[in-house]
Amino acid sequence: MKDLVHIYELERLLQDTCNDAVRRAKEEGRYAIGSVCGMIPEPLLNLDNCFSVRLRAPKTGSMEMGTYYMTSIMCECARALLERAIEGGYGFLDCIIAPDACAQMNRCVENIDKLRLIEKDGFFVTYSDVPMKSDETALRHYVRQMRQYVLEPLHDRLGIDVSDAALRRALERQNRVNRLVMQIGEYRRENRPRITGYEFAVLCLATFVCPKDYIVPLLEDVLEQLRTREPDAGNPYRARVVMVGSEIDDPELIRLTEEAGALVVADSYCLGSFPERMEIQPNEGEDVLTQICRHYMERGQCPRFMNTAKIEERHEFVDALAREYRADGVIYQQIKFCDYWGYERAYAAKVMREQYGYPVLSVDRPYVVGSSGQLRTRVQAFVESIEIKKLSS
Amino acid sequence: MGKAMGSEPLGKLYNGKKAKRRREWRGFKDTWYDYVHWLGIWGTLIKFMLHPANLKAFFRYRWMVNYLAVPDFFDRHTEGMRGTQLRVARVALELVVRDMCKSMSVMFRADPACGNDRALNEKLVVFDENMMSQIMNGFPNLKWVSVEVPAVYTCAMMAQDGVLYYLDAAQEYGIPNDVCPMPAAELGVALEGDYPKIGRCAVQCNTTCDGSLMGNGIMASRMDIPTFQLAVPIRHGEESVQQYAAEEILNAIDFIERQTGETFDWDAFFATMKRFNQETEQLLEWYDISRTPYPQITGNSLSLYRYAVYMAAGGRVQDFLDTDHRLTKLAMRGYARGELTAKEVRHRAITWGVQSAYYTAFGIWLQNCWGIVTLVDMLTLCSTRMIDTQDKDKAVYDLAYLYEKMIMRSRSNGGYEVGVADLWRFCESFQVDMVIMYAHMGCKSMSGYHGLFEEEARARGIHLVWATHGLMDARGVSRKDMRTEVNRYMRTVLREEPLDPSLEEIDDEMAW
Repeated sequence: MKDLVHIYELERLLQDTCNDAVRRAKEEGRYAIGSVCGMIPEPLLNLDNCFSVRLRAPKTGSMEMGTYYMTSIMCECARALLERAIEGGYGFLDCIIAPDACAQMNRCVENIDKLRLIEKDGFFVTYSDVPMKSDETALRHYVRQMRQYVLEPLHDRLGIDVSDAALRRALERQNRVNRLVMQIGEYRRENRPRITGYEFAVLCLATFVCPKDYIVPLLEDVLEQLRTREPDAGNPYRARVVMVGSEIDDPELIRLTEEAGALVVADSYCLGSFPERMEIQPNEGEDVLTQICRHYMERGQCPRFMNTAKIEERHEFVDALAREYRADGVIYQQIKFCDYWGYERAYAAKVMREQYGYPVLSVDRPYVVGSSGQLRTRVQAFVESIEIKKLSS
Repeated sequence: MGKAMGSEPLGKLYNGKKAKRRREWRGFKDTWYDYVHWLGIWGTLIKFMLHPANLKAFFRYRWMVNYLAVPDFFDRHTEGMRGTQLRVARVALELVVRDMCKSMSVMFRADPACGNDRALNEKLVVFDENMMSQIMNGFPNLKWVSVEVPAVYTCAMMAQDGVLYYLDAAQEYGIPNDVCPMPAAELGVALEGDYPKIGRCAVQCNTTCDGSLMGNGIMASRMDIPTFQLAVPIRHGEESVQQYAAEEILNAIDFIERQTGETFDWDAFFATMKRFNQETEQLLEWYDISRTPYPQITGNSLSLYRYAVYMAAGGRVQDFLDTDHRLTKLAMRGYARGELTAKEVRHRAITWGVQSAYYTAFGIWLQNCWGIVTLVDMLTLCSTRMIDTQDKDKAVYDLAYLYEKMIMRSRSNGGYEVGVADLWRFCESFQVDMVIMYAHMGCKSMSGYHGLFEEEARARGIHLVWATHGLMDARGVSRKDMRTEVNRYMRTVLREEPLDPSLEEIDDEMAW
């Protein structure tokens, strides 16, 4: 296929947390809000002259200091972020707004906080309690927490406009990005998609780590190009898969999967498009903060939602994606040492295989995938098993 | 060999086999006391087994075999003790055994595979292992039961290989081996179908850690009874979460009411919580004694007993309050006589982090071998707030607070303030010079503070001694490995010689 417009620029933006787009926004006097989890609704972090940056640690090498502070049994993502903070990689942030969602990421942020790794004047960290169930009691709690630990500190410490009108504007900006990502993602439904899973993962991830206004024109160009982009003749892929699981903040994993023959046609992982880039539907009769929180609570697919209805919903959600995008199989992946996904992956793999009848690849992986031969072999074997299954049926 | 503490080299008793070479000689009076109580434990176990449903259960459930080690458990947890110490340990832990026997008898009577008492089964509400039982104080016509406690938690304490079979079952299912073994073993029991199929309904909770709540999700799908998941706030130190915590408690009460047709009885609740408050008052007395040079109720005698009072009995059982008073009396007597808990108290310590279930007697070894007296442990240091017993609204908030401060989660959840900063406050309050820091290899919550613990302990001049373990899986880190870490610290950093050199290297690899 002809190169996707802006793909090199988008790839370049992913090479550094404090990338060109972030630097430009900082030069304009805007506030950079560090985020570590999708449980803090993104529109709240993009109010007024703020922009959110999801913390990542691209080009991670050694994690020795992170490992000293948090031991080798902790999630490598959390350790890598701490290491990057120790290296001074997050010095551009004005604050970190963190939920106490998973213990490991919480410890990472607390280490950054207590070790005073970001010395910028006025820098602060907030921690909030976010729901583990999806019901009205939890929603009320969620709204109160977001008001107290997100909106109020942003207003009091940085002077951010957190009025309903500002929230609506932020919501509209967010929806604009979400709509664009979903429209682009729609092309993955095609028999021979005119966008690869890797390309999609790059542009989707870029929307989490760059100011929204910077990224929107690029996405519009991509969408425009896709209308006429011709897929390559023939099909280099041997299977279509849904990628599910824990955070993927490096599209190399998707590239590796596709190089092994499995085209990623849909996704449901942290920093992917489902559910995080689904449009936030406004409803009448609720204040805008409640609407936003309701969306994140009801749409959320994180395994930390512990009630049975939500657990079953996660399986149904992946099944629906697999059907809509005509996937041949599902890949459940997790960063090693993640307790949430460790259990969810085992359980969901069983359910999807036995109750829904999908071939499932269930893997744990290091934070830095690179060109892992072991993982490549696992995916290749999975693709072959799908092919054998197709042949035998 | 004699009545004085430390008069016999205790290491001689270990012979590399399941049971020790012989039982300890403590002088005539204490040996007689210990022997009579040892017989009493056998009596309790035999009486338990005489019930047909319990006998059936013994052959139905693989994990029941671990309870053959109960007498040995007592020997391990009274090792080297004399006088008041011995009596405190016996009085406290024997009540726990009797209470467990009662609870298990109820469970097996209702179990369709054993007693099949359907009427009783309709009255049972199954609670999550680490969850406080106090909600049930308002349902006097119903019975609280936890199937995971006897199947997993106490099994791992009785025998160091007690739950390995179930851990393997969970890993075979696909659960990674880096998660905490406790919820993994609990899930393993469910996967093997080794829980009694009992209860009208169940209440689970986001207890202790992320792994624990995830295991519950899978277990709920196998319980075949309506299950409510109680979401207790993680940031429990914050005032802002208390309203949600209280609302969730009311949701849980509402669920039980709807499932059982019973109505929450506030009078019954207040009556039992008054008892619970009195139990808390006794605990505070013991803490006060522990702050003096003559602590009396320490180590396992405090921790294992207190877990039962705080979580399981929850104010519903008068025996526990009576025993509390008895323990206080013993402790006051020991204090007045200036009795020490070890031959020589060289270090006053707190244990932090979760202790190893397969080596709960580690604290006993610390005091016998090195004179390190563990005054109090992290899991015991939960809430001591009194529950309002008059105002319903306040009581719900107090109850919610109690649930937030469940054992383990009160420290493993809630952030730096409760996980780290509180430790230094307790160190000051109990005037300790040493922290035995349990590094449970599957516990991400505490491991995330590893570097902070090191640096802050150093800054405060507190000796921080790591004791790495695998909670319920001794295959990765054995009891001996735990001791070796301490031995090295004591010899190389503190340059001390052991109180009882025979205990420095012992062979208990095959022991229960």
